[in-house]
Amino acid sequence: MFKTIVVREILEYLKSARFALGLIITVVLIAASTLINVEDYVLRHQDFLDAKKELQAESRRVNILRGPQVLSILVRGKDKDLGELVRVWVGDVPSELSGTMDVRKPKFPSLARLSAVDFAFLVRVVMSLMVIFLAYGAVAEEKAGGTLKLVLANALPRDKLLLGKLVSGLAVVLGALAVASLLAVIFLMLHPAVSLSGSDILRIAGMMAVSALYLSVFYALGLFVSVKVDRPAVALMVLLQAWVFLVVLYPNLSVTLAERLVPLPSEQTVAAEKAAVEDRFRKDIQEVNEKLGQATSTAEDRLRFNKVWSQNAEEIHKVDSEFSRLQTRQMKSAELISSLSPASLYDQVMNRLARTDIREYELFMEGAVRLWRSYVERLNLRYTDPDAYKKSQLPDFGYASDSTAQTIAAVWPQALVLFLFSLVFFTLAYTGFLKKDLR
Amino acid sequence: MKTIIRREFLDHVQSLQFIVLFALSVVLFAASGFVYVRAQAERDVYYRTQMTRAERHPSTMGARLVRRPNALGFMAAGGDQDRPSGYDIQGGEFTPIPVNPRTFKLPAIPALDWSFLIRVLFSLYVILLGYDAVSGEKERGTLRLILANPLGRVKLLVGKYCSIMAAASVPFAAGVLVSLIIVGAFLPGGLAAADLGRVLFVFFLVLAYFSLFAFLSLLFSSLISRSSLVLLALLAVWVCFAVVIPSSSIVIAEKLSAAPSETQSARMFEPMVQKEVWAKIGGVQERVNRGEFRTEDEIHRETDRIFEEGQAKVTEFYANYARAENERGRKAKAMSRISPAALFQYAAEDIAGTGDAGEENFLSQCREYSRAVDGFILRKLGKVVRVSRWSFSTNMEFQGKPIVVHSPQPQNYTGDMSDFPKFEERRPGFGQALKSAFGDLAGLLVWNILLAGLAFSAFLRTDVR
Repeated sequence: MFKTIVVREILEYLKSARFALGLIITVVLIAASTLINVEDYVLRHQDFLDAKKELQAESRRVNILRGPQVLSILVRGKDKDLGELVRVWVGDVPSELSGTMDVRKPKFPSLARLSAVDFAFLVRVVMSLMVIFLAYGAVAEEKAGGTLKLVLANALPRDKLLLGKLVSGLAVVLGALAVASLLAVIFLMLHPAVSLSGSDILRIAGMMAVSALYLSVFYALGLFVSVKVDRPAVALMVLLQAWVFLVVLYPNLSVTLAERLVPLPSEQTVAAEKAAVEDRFRKDIQEVNEKLGQATSTAEDRLRFNKVWSQNAEEIHKVDSEFSRLQTRQMKSAELISSLSPASLYDQVMNRLARTDIREYELFMEGAVRLWRSYVERLNLRYTDPDAYKKSQLPDFGYASDSTAQTIAAVWPQALVLFLFSLVFFTLAYTGFLKKDLR
Repeated sequence: MKTIIRREFLDHVQSLQFIVLFALSVVLFAASGFVYVRAQAERDVYYRTQMTRAERHPSTMGARLVRRPNALGFMAAGGDQDRPSGYDIQGGEFTPIPVNPRTFKLPAIPALDWSFLIRVLFSLYVILLGYDAVSGEKERGTLRLILANPLGRVKLLVGKYCSIMAAASVPFAAGVLVSLIIVGAFLPGGLAAADLGRVLFVFFLVLAYFSLFAFLSLLFSSLISRSSLVLLALLAVWVCFAVVIPSSSIVIAEKLSAAPSETQSARMFEPMVQKEVWAKIGGVQERVNRGEFRTEDEIHRETDRIFEEGQAKVTEFYANYARAENERGRKAKAMSRISPAALFQYAAEDIAGTGDAGEENFLSQCREYSRAVDGFILRKLGKVVRVSRWSFSTNMEFQGKPIVVHSPQPQNYTGDMSDFPKFEERRPGFGQALKSAFGDLAGLLVWNILLAGLAFSAFLRTDVR
């Protein structure tokens, strides 16, 4: 009997016009966006390779370049907005990234804060809407059509019926998701300029799993509302209101809230702390600058110049990294507050999996600071031990990104909350359905 | 006809979504007002400290021009929170004051301004009000009954249209009122009477935007007979208008642009400076050795000349890059104009004086001011030294003794500064704002006419059985 229910429901869904329309919309959007995003990635990657070849080889300067993440094709996250270049010089510990042209002006400010249209966006917004359209009528329509009574007149317990609806609905939703993701992955795999490593594939698999969890939250929510509200049209309205709140409004408001609840120290405070450091070093810096400006400067002057400037830089760096820590704390609070919205949870997990979140940025910057320290050390060697300097080489820039296992260890709580969301909604639907008045 | 409008309007007003919309509208516009007032107060403090500093210490070494915070930003922020708060001006060189990147770790969210609430939330609600206007009545069978009365189809549709507009405008007007009260009461300086004209204009702009979605809903509702399908299709169009088209247009514009990208420009920069400046300055030592110069002064004059020539090339290079970026921005904007949501946003920005037009206006005033300052320096000091993003200092040997040559430094004029030019920022008048918004307004009108025509012709042919 259970099997009959599931098969019947699945066929109902597959035959329905709204499933067909939803699937067409999703597939077209995913195909178009992945194509566009692959091209964008290829462009950025080529830029990165060219720049690495030339800018890093500049004789007078050391530059660190940040390349695009390959998985940003599916989940752009912050990947495109963080800047690409760190210029290394003795007087400044790297604390921020800039664009390669160093023009400190954002591009496209009118449009910049729209969310990128990528796989994650389409699942988060478009597919979740589609799921609502599939789920809202699951019980309400049968009730309105009068078939619910008839179905339950058979030797079929209520829980089996609801379970059957859940299983069939999820099967259809996940099937659609599989089709959509397969499409995206095929575009990725077929493009000659995109190469995926084994861990990338694992991460993509993780993304699919989280997408499935996310969509099942909305299916369970739909089922719950469908059980509670008798008129299908009203159920749909309630669901859409909930969707707008959970997907559009709450994630926005929670960021604003976090900004107010966990404020950062003011710009003046930070500037004053830095000024205090600079005051301590001012006399020394003036002295070494003057010495170096004279035509008679010696190797000793240069060494002292480096020492004073790099000490100053380290002290400024302490202020910078404390501020950076507070920024991260604010971000974590925003994430925590927004955790009530499945859409925000989903975003956090997807960004982490794609390595397009702030965590990746911070690892990169830590690597840049390490490189700066070895750069300064080597520079000092030039004036203390020229032979050793000639033999030594500046290490290549690198940083250890989180392994897939580490990432999964970091995101499982969010994934668990997503799972709990669907469990709670389904339980509510279940108890609601058992008590439901069928007349 | 009146009966129709009244009946439909009452239907909407009693519905669940209307009540939710009304409550949400009041809450969100209030939140938007409070967020804006707080941010604006911070910007105001920043502006005043920076400006008084500039006025107290006028200097020929450079000036900092800070943009006055726009009092109408609560309608359409226009990305102003990401734009430079002003420019440092030195010898005709403009350096944007870096935007405060303090919160870059937080998810980038659009400003909670009217434009966001209208574009995203209200357009969705207009759809929810209108999607079953025709298809719902058809499903329930009431459409036939209504049309059995002596009532033309055109009149029926006009009635439905008016009721949707009325039901959407009431919560919006309530929200606007709340927002204006909060902004007017708490904003330092409050709202000027002249600004209210602009607010009123934006109000009507919003109605035009609502109207477009009302027609769109009626069109789909007449074409598709199942209400749930109508809604699904409308939501797909809504997602495309509000996010997909504007957001994709950036990526597509970058791809289509023939101008070199940022990194490609950066790659060309270094070799150019090498060839135009460093090689030539390096050549000076050889010329010194050949005995081309008689005094140290002559060497300095020659390196100054080389540096200034190179400097002009660098300035031009950056100007070209800025032009390429602007071009890409214009292309992205032009493409995004397929979406009426973008048309609406740009028009609202122009009217409020924010956005690209607002920044361009400020920049042109900066250029004007910079010319005035250059004139002052020329009068008092006889020479304008352009200060660049880079400078140089190198050792040479002249007649057996080491000398240092370096890039020219601007001079500080210590005499009478009373006639030093003062910077007064002017906001473009309403007429000018209208002129820059004209294209977008026309676009919205065209969408309205097109969709109205389609909706009516679709409804006239609808099979009501």
